[in-house]
Amino acid sequence: MSTPMFDVSGVTLRFGGVTSLNNVTLHHNRGEILAVIGPNGAGKTSLFNSLTGVYAPQEGTITFDRDGSTPLSVIGKKPHRIASAGVARTFQASRMFPAMTAFENVKIGAESHRGFGVIGAMVKGPQTRRHERETDATTWELLKFVGLEQQANVLSGSLNYGARRRLEIARGLATNPKVLLLDEPAAGTNPAEKIELTELIRRVRDEMGVSILLIEHDMKLVMSLAERLYVLNFGSVIAEGTPDEIRSNQAVIDAYLGSTDTAKGGE
Amino acid sequence: MMKFLRSAQAKKLGSWLALVVTVTVMTGPPGNPTQPTLGFTSSFSERVSFFGLFPAPRGVLFLALALLVAGAVLAYSRVAKAPVQRARAAVVPKYQALAGKRTFRLSWYAVVLLGAVLLPHLVTDPFWQSAMVSQIAIYILLAIGLNVVVGFAGLLDLGFVAFYAIGAYVTAWVTGALPVAAPFHHHLNPFWAIPIAIVVVMIAGVLLGVPTLRLRGDYLAIVTLGFGEIVTIFMNNLYGITGGSTGSNQIPHFSIHLGSLKYLWGLNPVPYYYLTLGFVVLFLIIFSSLEHSRIGRSWVAIREDEVAAESLGVNPLKYKVMAFAIGAASAGFAGVMTAGQSFFINPATFTLSFSINILVLVIFGGMGSIIGVVIGSVVIQTLSMYLIHTPPAGFQNSDLYIYLGALLIAMMIFRPAGLWPSKRRRREFTDAGVEGTASIAGGQ
Repeated sequence: MSTPMFDVSGVTLRFGGVTSLNNVTLHHNRGEILAVIGPNGAGKTSLFNSLTGVYAPQEGTITFDRDGSTPLSVIGKKPHRIASAGVARTFQASRMFPAMTAFENVKIGAESHRGFGVIGAMVKGPQTRRHERETDATTWELLKFVGLEQQANVLSGSLNYGARRRLEIARGLATNPKVLLLDEPAAGTNPAEKIELTELIRRVRDEMGVSILLIEHDMKLVMSLAERLYVLNFGSVIAEGTPDEIRSNQAVIDAYLGSTDTAKGGE
Repeated sequence: MMKFLRSAQAKKLGSWLALVVTVTVMTGPPGNPTQPTLGFTSSFSERVSFFGLFPAPRGVLFLALALLVAGAVLAYSRVAKAPVQRARAAVVPKYQALAGKRTFRLSWYAVVLLGAVLLPHLVTDPFWQSAMVSQIAIYILLAIGLNVVVGFAGLLDLGFVAFYAIGAYVTAWVTGALPVAAPFHHHLNPFWAIPIAIVVVMIAGVLLGVPTLRLRGDYLAIVTLGFGEIVTIFMNNLYGITGGSTGSNQIPHFSIHLGSLKYLWGLNPVPYYYLTLGFVVLFLIIFSSLEHSRIGRSWVAIREDEVAAESLGVNPLKYKVMAFAIGAASAGFAGVMTAGQSFFINPATFTLSFSINILVLVIFGGMGSIIGVVIGSVVIQTLSMYLIHTPPAGFQNSDLYIYLGALLIAMMIFRPAGLWPSKRRRREFTDAGVEGTASIAGGQ
């Protein structure tokens, strides 16, 4: 195995007197489906925001390595810069562009990492048209991949939750990422949609070769999907291991999972 | 009936008819200054013989010809093109619908443009001829420029007049009409001011944008308001450079001296009208292709959700600054036109209420809709000019804004998205919240 995709070491993030992440160290291996779990307020989303450049932690280092040979220091870089380096994400409360159709939502992702000319866009030159055709084709492929080609021309704001989640994944994939960060992808979806989503996430990794890092509260989904987990509590990593190891870890049961009778917990 | 009107055939028929009218008028007899409509009407009634065979009114003749050609084309496309189109539509459902709508739209634009070209021949009142340039066409330029900033990128700019003022003052500067020495030894014709002013104004847009566009919403509005005021105060107080409140000296008119080609834009507003109209069309084309390019989509994305846009690799600051600079360009050009037409300029024109006035045109027409903004500008400015030219009993010029304010309030109640909202906004108002009912639009 080459260098990890994300190498997070000793990261501490504070907001005034509140420590949101406390000396977090985490490795995300290439091609892995990794999950981060923990109670509300444990710092999971703060971790995502630190990985994507929305927050800049005060201490520690975060290194993203796109292909094993080009390490990029994340802290201090702008989100759009990190996104173009190959990090895609979805949001906890899905953030679509509601006035745009599903197609346009994905297309924005597909064209944002291409070079472009302002003049070309003004006069619709041949190169611009070729780019348009190519991004259109990519967009259709991705919409088919997530099973939304029938809703391509529907405004994303009027899609149901499950479809929005899938659209967000397609939009993220359109940026041609190496890693996809999913922030509670199953929130607000029904059991049938959860199964579809699990399948989709697995296909993203297997067919597209995109590593997955996900935050999720639904234990059934996490345990069936993730190959390895980190458990956060009060901003610190309290456990790391395979699903089986985590299930039997006493510290995790105390902090998050609860006793075996009420093994759901969390919400 | 409505179904027929919406069908692709009806649209094609409409575009052919528009073409017939255009060709008939273009090939018809020349107009007559005392009876301006004569050229138009006699184009249709004049009898001509077709190869000496059957004499008929020209209109009828061209119509028959057009129907013949249209029929042939239609028959051909049914036979030859249908399978290809069907195959393409099966892959990309929206293409077919788009193609039909496009012809329809283009023919409409052609008709409107024809109307705009003929307008000075139909409206011969000198007041209105001059108003068409300085009060309508210039305002259209300003409004479509502000629409790029406010409508497309969603940035509230209350100091837009600054760019207009800079454009006008740059013109005065390069033509040697300011107290400060002109930048070149030769006093330039205002034509040369067009590229210079556009470049200067775009630089001003970038300079204003880079530090301020990190702000959002209300804060940005306040900063741009300040920028507009700063520019006005500079113009008022830098006596040695701008001439202070008295403004510039005489600015020469536009003229062309290219070898044997010589033309001078004088006092008659009509030539200015055509010059401005040309640039309005140019800016409309540029702005509408921008709207439908990835730049336009990135603007919408940033407007809708900046964080999500950033997560997709869109650099918000870059696109916002771009919107500022591009929007400013048309305002800068409007400044050149104003300076080149009126003899002199002074700071009293470039006030805060002017910025607000332009913003009203954009809001009234429909933010983000280029057609809407053009319609809005024409409607509001025509109305204002009408009130000023033929005031109803008890009306005073200073009352104008009361009427416009009332109109705007009524608009916000009955048509909050504007007179002619953009397709996107119209869909938002009708589509949103209706889950799952929308099928692929126009996919059949």
